[in-house]
Amino acid sequence: MRSSTFLRIWVGLFVILFFLYLFGPLILMSFTAFNTPSFPRALPWECFTLEWFGVLANDQDMMAGLRNSIFIGLGVVLVAVPLGLAGALVLTQIRQRVRPYYYTVVISPILIPGVVLGISTLIFWDRLGTMFNASYDSLFYDGIFLTIIGQSTFVSAYAMLVFIARLQRFDPAQEEAALDLGATHVQAFRKILLPFLKPAIGSASVLAFLASFENYNTTVFTIASEKTLTTVLASKVRYGINPSISALAVIIVALTLVGAVVYEILRRREERQQQGISAKPLNLGNPVTYLVVLVFIAGLGTSWMATRFDTASCKVEAAEQKRLETERRIRELQQRRMFESGQPGTQTPAPQPQTAPKPTPGTESYPNIFAPQNLAPPAEEQPEVQENGSYQNIFAPQNLAPPAQEQSEEQPGQPEAQENGAYQNIFDPQNLAPKKE
Amino acid sequence: MSGIRQFFNRNGVVLASFMLIAVSIWIIFMILLPQLFMLDFSFRFNLPPAQVGGPDDVYTLSNYEFFIFGSPNNPDPFNVIDVTVFLRTLLAAICVTLFDLALCYPMAFYLAQSSHGAYARLLVLSLIVPFWVNEILRAFAFRILFGTTGVINTFFLWLGIYDEPIDFIRADIALYAGLGYAYILLMIFPIYNAVESLDRNQIEAARDLGSPWWRIHWRVVIPYAKPGITSGCTMVFMLSAGALAAPQILGGPSNLWFTQIIYQWFNTGGNWPRGSAYAIVLLLACIAFVLMMMKIFKVKLGEIAQ
Repeated sequence: MRSSTFLRIWVGLFVILFFLYLFGPLILMSFTAFNTPSFPRALPWECFTLEWFGVLANDQDMMAGLRNSIFIGLGVVLVAVPLGLAGALVLTQIRQRVRPYYYTVVISPILIPGVVLGISTLIFWDRLGTMFNASYDSLFYDGIFLTIIGQSTFVSAYAMLVFIARLQRFDPAQEEAALDLGATHVQAFRKILLPFLKPAIGSASVLAFLASFENYNTTVFTIASEKTLTTVLASKVRYGINPSISALAVIIVALTLVGAVVYEILRRREERQQQGISAKPLNLGNPVTYLVVLVFIAGLGTSWMATRFDTASCKVEAAEQKRLETERRIRELQQRRMFESGQPGTQTPAPQPQTAPKPTPGTESYPNIFAPQNLAPPAEEQPEVQENGSYQNIFAPQNLAPPAQEQSEEQPGQPEAQENGAYQNIFDPQNLAPKKE
Repeated sequence: MSGIRQFFNRNGVVLASFMLIAVSIWIIFMILLPQLFMLDFSFRFNLPPAQVGGPDDVYTLSNYEFFIFGSPNNPDPFNVIDVTVFLRTLLAAICVTLFDLALCYPMAFYLAQSSHGAYARLLVLSLIVPFWVNEILRAFAFRILFGTTGVINTFFLWLGIYDEPIDFIRADIALYAGLGYAYILLMIFPIYNAVESLDRNQIEAARDLGSPWWRIHWRVVIPYAKPGITSGCTMVFMLSAGALAAPQILGGPSNLWFTQIIYQWFNTGGNWPRGSAYAIVLLLACIAFVLMMMKIFKVKLGEIAQ
């Protein structure tokens, strides 16, 4: 009994951790879409904002990519679903001896890396174009066409798998009966097989569209000079990002959640119709329900905040907060120095770990610490250094704290800075010569 | 020949010709010929368009030679950069596969055997949700998590566990976590499908006969779920080894993924035949892996690609 409770706790912990791994990154990414810093980050939280959604809507590249992606997705549905259907039907009728070979060939696009599929499609049509002496604006070199063909190669195989699964439950006697009763083959197909396959056609289409929409590996080779949403996204993520990408992710995650819920509702309804009983109510004891509820509450909360919150004033506040924080740290640092100067000998390497200012606000602005200007102690400071005796640590990288971005914010606090003996800025190259004449 | 006549008799002219034409277009013009053209192209020199088909357009092994030995004035005995990247990619893909297997097997077992009804369905449904979020956005989420100023660094610095931000990206930790994340679903569903059809009585029989839990798994569940496990491992390995977006976004600046080298030959490198040769190398490695899995676990291809 005890060991089973123990096991249950472990299993519960594992399930929670698993779903944390699954959803944590997406949730954190969603947070960055509502945070003001222009580099997407969830921590530290500064101000709530919706501006990144506006940035996203005004992004011409992304909108053009989105249009192309939708167009290509529809094209892939039109090509891949009939191909997959034909492939599945042939598989059910092909002779036993040839079947494994046939299956190996049609299933291989799923196993071939997407990169290879893209390259082979690109080369094939390029070579054909050269053979026919086609001009560069013909179909052979058209990025959209190539992408539809390249993606359909493997999406057809997905569609085929969906159809195979459905066809396994098909009773061929129905079709035979129709044929015996004088229906033509086309009529039997249209009246018997197609209605039976309707759900499979629906899910194959959705699958095909989504697979096409999110494909990158094949597309990046076949797309040529055109762009799709994924290629635009990839170049944005690689070369310069702002949280408008997170805003897009929020939209996609929300759409997926809605889709999943709709799917579940439809499925329940179907089940209820089939069984004639009411489906069980949502199980309240499970983490996913809580998660969905949490997401919902978070959504409500954010929209409530949005109506109440003045982003601009919050930004000013956040800047002020940052300035105060920096000052506080500097004062702390100074106090420590004073304290340490009383007991020389203990101070040299020890104090760094505990008291070093937390580099939270601007870790990315440290690269300058090794710049020559920052290293050598400027001449003007010599007297002070001698006086306190313990200033040698101030050139340790962590202590060079006030990062570039915060210096501008400190401008309003000038009087206070003087009051503190102006130590905070002494290593800032701009402050060296002119101030301390 | 009689087979085709039978096929036409059975389906009628219209349908039979639709099926035949569609399947031939798919197999010949979308699957086989492109691969053959790529293979052919990988044995050619990188010529300007005017010289293609001319007297200089002859077959050569130079592209494969370059992959193995590097350029003629390469001082090393072999092409250290590319071969290392190739091997490291395969090794890393295997690690990602094992990581996913370790993560997904218990979860799949739990889903299939220990949870029921609406609860199980909700869990399964919530597994699918992250999978439909774009590959690039998933990688991007891991960048937010693992960046120098990312959530993990900020959090642990704030806690004071360490003082210097850890460069997870340079250490490739972000990449492995991101790749493992991206293909979880492809590991969990085949195993889930396999385990779900296992009769619970078998497990209970083993337990009644005094078998400890690990032996139940080793002797009953794993042998039964073998096709699912093989399928999951193969898919995850293939997709990790062939991944391009995640290494581009999460990869360290000095650590390339093999697909990135292929990509470079096609883009900045401007040498398509050499890129094709590299793609063929990748393809051969993947085929070898699938054959190896089929041999080791004695499963058929149909059981792998589900």
